[in-house]
Amino acid sequence: MELNEQQAGGVTVLQVKGRIDSTTAPMLGERLTAMLGAAKARVVVDFSQLDYISSAGFRILLLAAKRADQTTSKLVLCGVSGKVRQLFDLGGFLDLFTIAPTREEGIAAAG
Amino acid sequence: MSQTETTIRNRREEISRVVDAVDRFAAEHRLSVDDVGDLQVALDEILTNIVDYGYTDDSDHEIRIRLQVIGNVLEATIVDDGFAFNPLESQAPDVRAPLHERRVGGLGIHFVKNLMTEITYDRVDGRNLLVLRKNLTT
Repeated sequence: MELNEQQAGGVTVLQVKGRIDSTTAPMLGERLTAMLGAAKARVVVDFSQLDYISSAGFRILLLAAKRADQTTSKLVLCGVSGKVRQLFDLGGFLDLFTIAPTREEGIAAAG
Repeated sequence: MSQTETTIRNRREEISRVVDAVDRFAAEHRLSVDDVGDLQVALDEILTNIVDYGYTDDSDHEIRIRLQVIGNVLEATIVDDGFAFNPLESQAPDVRAPLHERRVGGLGIHFVKNLMTEITYDRVDGRNLLVLRKNLTT
């Protein structure tokens, strides 16, 4: 798994490449916790380069969404397609997170 | 028919060795990215379950993973000497609960059941013997 962080206006975009599984999920968790630690943070997580995500990854995303609520931050996901979308669907997560079709729309939704 | 076998200890950090073994096996057999992804997710769920909940002692235990392609079927066999656990009997999680009531317990097995074509479980000589089968799409 590779994490790349970019700033776009007041929004931080985190691109996740590769795989989110039990080995890599803790690293993603640490990064998201840090990003969503400040009040009113604006975060977009881009999954367009993600191969798959296991339940260990969804555990992290649930924690991140709850943390975003606590810090009145905004967490938006984008690039959820193919295999990754299938896993979101199986887990019933498509309605649970704010998901934008593209990075640009994600940034607009988070800003 | 060709196969490969990997043995890991019951430690979280060992699971990445199985990920690598699956990648190598997939490359040798030219498996599609989606088929490999499904197996990687399923194995991650099964192995984390065994490592996290299979044992209460502090001893090292061996978990054996055998991969093979038989005709059009990708098969993974996982053998461990942890507590008896039949994933086929585990309850499906509530995938409709709102955010603050959402739990991920049971989600992993739910994924395994949906991503694999067939799952068989046996308890033999104090060991769990789990076979995951996936019909290859290409």
